[in-house]
Amino acid sequence: MNLKSLKLVLVFMISILATSAVYAQDDEVATAKQVVEKFQSELIAVMKDGKKLGYAGRYQKLSDPISNSHDLTKIARIVVGKEWEKLSEDQQQKLTDIFIRLSIASYAHNFKDYSGESFGFDSEEETTRGGVVVHTHLVIPNDKPVKFDYMLKEKGSSWRIINIIANGVSDLALKRSEYTTILQREGFDVLMSKINEKIDSYSKL
Amino acid sequence: MARKNIINLVSAINIPLKVSAAILLAFVLGGCATTGSAEHTVNKDDPYENVNRAMYSFNDKLDDYIAAPISKIYNKVTPQFARTGVFNFFSNLKNINVIVNDALQAKFSQSASDTGRFLINTTLGLAGFVDVATDAGLELNIEDFDQTLAVWGVPNGSYLVLPILGPTTLRGIPGTVFDVAANPSTYLGMPIQLVSLLNTRATAEGSLKFIDEAALDPYVFTRESFLQWRKNLATDGKSEASLDFGDDIDELNSGDKKIATKSESIRKDVSKDNHKLELSAPLQ
Repeated sequence: MNLKSLKLVLVFMISILATSAVYAQDDEVATAKQVVEKFQSELIAVMKDGKKLGYAGRYQKLSDPISNSHDLTKIARIVVGKEWEKLSEDQQQKLTDIFIRLSIASYAHNFKDYSGESFGFDSEEETTRGGVVVHTHLVIPNDKPVKFDYMLKEKGSSWRIINIIANGVSDLALKRSEYTTILQREGFDVLMSKINEKIDSYSKL
Repeated sequence: MARKNIINLVSAINIPLKVSAAILLAFVLGGCATTGSAEHTVNKDDPYENVNRAMYSFNDKLDDYIAAPISKIYNKVTPQFARTGVFNFFSNLKNINVIVNDALQAKFSQSASDTGRFLINTTLGLAGFVDVATDAGLELNIEDFDQTLAVWGVPNGSYLVLPILGPTTLRGIPGTVFDVAANPSTYLGMPIQLVSLLNTRATAEGSLKFIDEAALDPYVFTRESFLQWRKNLATDGKSEASLDFGDDIDELNSGDKKIATKSESIRKDVSKDNHKLELSAPLQ
């Protein structure tokens, strides 16, 4: 074996070791802060490729990062509040399903390109009920930074985002008012068709 | 009783009689609508939802047919730097009110920095058209009399949608009266106020478009974001009561297992959907 091939073998072995080290890190429980930062970096990466990917490409690329960092099934349940109990099991399933698609679609629609934005970490705090709030901000060139506060809860052994508060406006509270109002005033079918319309327009705009 | 109060307050801010009549009419209509749908749970922040909704759609139509087309023309004939300049000019005049309210809320260091901001922008910033102060590190603060009343412990009261003026609360009405009186642009006369109005509408274009895009129920979306935004301003970003939905989550925990197993199958569905989307979505 000459020196060159030995070098190759070494490089190969090191890269195997390096990847297994990465896997080992993945197996460890990620902290709430890590979950948020991983998601934000994945989001920025998609924004950078946003134009090239197109809506369908962004949807696909964001699907796993969003599902793995957010507890979308729980969010879907919270946004309908007490109305959840009044829905049949089939309706609950349909709502959860469509809510997941809407969440991914709205990310794919709203984060379509990149103009130098970056996320910065501010602080982390525990809430009285065992949740964690990760305070971050989005830096936008030539504009005021936007505060993004992520509320996380433990799901099994990992942390999942259940609410995002942008400049003091809570996404969960906003959605909850909308969903419960529509369910009360117009019913389940109207809610479903409104969400479907929204997903449809996100894919076209 | 409460209704009478609202009408008194509205007429107190010199809204023409016609508008007061419109509100009165809307209350009557709203009253009819309420009896028709008695089973709806009343939102405690928005007991006059039916009236407010009617007013909201009135404003929306007014915007569609009058304000939006004019604003579109305004946007076409004025360059961006001119609109920014006009925005800065009126925003600088508002600073006097900000400084007064800083003081009323005992925020003395902020009052000093806002005074500096006003002086720099009025002189170096050419009567306020250029916002030099922000570049110098003196950020714009948003303070008004409604926030002062909040700091003094006055509750915000019911949510209201006023004709033309849009979303406010009961507390916001005396707040606006004070702010209008403390704003020098009020005394500049009609054509200048019209420019201010036009420019405000043109600047709001982005936000209005966002509501259209993001909202399932634009009325509720506007109400919730308005109330949360005002609360956030009044508490200077320290209101985090809405952060924790602990009650709901604890209440929901019992049924979680069933949902968790289902979520796996949904994830699969989602990835199936991706493929569909990939095929059907036009290439961008």
